[in-house]
Amino acid sequence: MKKLIYIIVLISINTFSQTKFITKSGIVNFEASVPSFEEVAAKNNSATAILDTENGEFAALVLVKGFRFKNALMEEHFNENYAESDKYPKATFKGKIDGFLINKLTDKPSVFYLSGSLTFHGKTKTLEKVAVTISKKEDQINIVGNFTEKASSFDIKIPKIVSSKIANDIEVTFEFLLKSK
Amino acid sequence: MKKWSILIVLCVVVVIIGYRYIYQDHRDIATETSIYKLTASDISNEFAINPMSSENKYLNKTIEVSGSISDKNPQNITIDGKVFCQFSNKIQTDLKTDQIKIKGRFIGYDDLLEQVKLDQCTIID
Repeated sequence: MKKLIYIIVLISINTFSQTKFITKSGIVNFEASVPSFEEVAAKNNSATAILDTENGEFAALVLVKGFRFKNALMEEHFNENYAESDKYPKATFKGKIDGFLINKLTDKPSVFYLSGSLTFHGKTKTLEKVAVTISKKEDQINIVGNFTEKASSFDIKIPKIVSSKIANDIEVTFEFLLKSK
Repeated sequence: MKKWSILIVLCVVVVIIGYRYIYQDHRDIATETSIYKLTASDISNEFAINPMSSENKYLNKTIEVSGSISDKNPQNITIDGKVFCQFSNKIQTDLKTDQIKIKGRFIGYDDLLEQVKLDQCTIID
């Protein structure tokens, strides 16, 4: 009986060890501006991200309605005509950081490569080797990076009439300050 | 002469309306009335049963959620570990008790953490 309890305790310690780092207020920005026209940019401060420090698996979720634009009408058009956020309220990423080892992290940012699949507007696209800089300070891990994607790869059509004011290449930047959970 | 002045007035009106349309204000969630008022566990249960239809029901609506604070940061509060409330600015209010009522805009359901997310929140009580 005692042995059994020991085994159960051991297993539960293993499975509940602190290998998951989480944030609920990650920052994800995107910009599709064209020089000399009004800025087309939005900011989301409530992205969720989870990093498993044991194997480098990384998952993130962004609620599309949470993207805020400076211009209210632009925000409305983004939600209704481009991202169709009523139909597709979420953008998700699931992937892995190559060669991730928590012991390698220091308070100085070092470069890692992140690969995985990004789903937005009902379309999934594979992202390969996105350079991210990762640093660790006390019990917080900071992941910063950016990538460029085409709007057309997510089946987002930019009408001809505004195509000179919105870039097809969309620059996405992200910053996740993860805490151990 | 009269025709000209009418035309000018008409042009000015069109420009003003056009400008007001293009540069309209954002929704002000703080002054909107809440469409739904419920507790954190109630809304969480709804999502546990049927996430799809609940999401359609609440998406982009202003709602009021009550419960006790389980996590507090400078710009966000989590109620009962189930509802995440994002504030636009740093939270200034002094919170004396754990019990809280927050109004905000529902932006979606986070299935990674199984939490409801609100943004542009204000503390009601």
